[in-house]
Amino acid sequence: MKLENEDALDNYIICHQCLTLHEEIAIADGSHACCTGCGGVLYRYNTQRIDHGLALSITGLIFFALANFFPLVQIEVLGTEQFITISKTIFTLFESGFYLVGLICAFLIFIFPLMIFLINLCVFALLKAQKGKKITKELLVLLAYITPWSMTDIFLVSILVALVKLIGYAQIHIGVAFWALLVFVLIDVYLVKRIQIFEIWMLHKRIFAHKDEV
Amino acid sequence: MIEVDESTLIRCAICGAVNMDKGKKNICRRCHSSIKDKHFSTQKSWAYLITGMIAYIPANMYPILISTQFGQTEGSTILGGVIFLWEHGSYPIAMVIFFASIIIPVLKFLILIYLLISVKYPLGKDKKVTKHKLYYMTEVIGPWSMIDVFVVAVLSALIHLSMVSIVAGTAVTAFAISVFFTLLSAHAFDARLIKENC
Repeated sequence: MKLENEDALDNYIICHQCLTLHEEIAIADGSHACCTGCGGVLYRYNTQRIDHGLALSITGLIFFALANFFPLVQIEVLGTEQFITISKTIFTLFESGFYLVGLICAFLIFIFPLMIFLINLCVFALLKAQKGKKITKELLVLLAYITPWSMTDIFLVSILVALVKLIGYAQIHIGVAFWALLVFVLIDVYLVKRIQIFEIWMLHKRIFAHKDEV
Repeated sequence: MIEVDESTLIRCAICGAVNMDKGKKNICRRCHSSIKDKHFSTQKSWAYLITGMIAYIPANMYPILISTQFGQTEGSTILGGVIFLWEHGSYPIAMVIFFASIIIPVLKFLILIYLLISVKYPLGKDKKVTKHKLYYMTEVIGPWSMIDVFVVAVLSALIHLSMVSIVAGTAVTAFAISVFFTLLSAHAFDARLIKENC
């Protein structure tokens, strides 16, 4: 394989699932390229990616705020009412002496998801404004480190499992925050889990290369 | 013009850029983070995996939930909880808990052991795609074992009454540590080694 210089490697892509080397080709708007080895998605191309990303990160943050301020579920047992919020779940662990688990939970279901959406917001806003080449790079590196550690989707399923366990013992009322969390998880799956960071790097390169020419 | 051997190209785990393998210390040309050393990564992966497996033993021995009902205290282990749910007819939930806390962790241990051995010794040489799929699967389903920890957290926060209360047990810490270290082990494993040893 012959190349002009090392930067020409940008035209190649290695599949993240099976490490097969591919040459990057231009594809139609809204479509995606698949790996020849394992069939996994290599990259997607969408001209509206930045606008969508910006809009969805703001929406996600609003729903995340809602999910934190209101009670998730409320139960009635023997005439007494109890409710939980995300923060109460974490603080109860601390109160009963499980500092390590409390800390892990705090990071997995609160700090990391919040950070991911804030970083996404900043990155897409900077790309939209075509500013801050260096800071975008650093944010993207940080994003790559924390993305595997956000588990709001698993937390949502856990709440459901816990509620099903309680059926028959207590009356259950699902709160506003639960639905907000559900929307947040859907956005999280669409925006963070589906888009690979590689695609944002492609956007980053295209925007700043274009800007350097001008 | 430079001549590049296709098989020496490596992928940066952080930004996905294609890089040339320049020997011992590789720095990604795009995001400037260091690309992990493939020989060191196997040792790290083993170390994390063994820690995770050791932590999994107390996670199953000690009670994960301690419930107090009208002065009576009762602890239940992970398996005990699953059996209790099964006997009381909550089959779907019993299945979910069984899958998340027993099948997935054990399967992950076995897959990682298989992969780590197979990159060192000739084992299943012709199954490259299967191995990559197995590795990818462990990365995707791995975090779902956290379900049990979150369920315990939710229940102990929710059931806090004067007569009836649920408190988390020792096993929660052990289980969380176990899941955490197996996740680290899967991240530390370098999929490049699968390719090279086939």
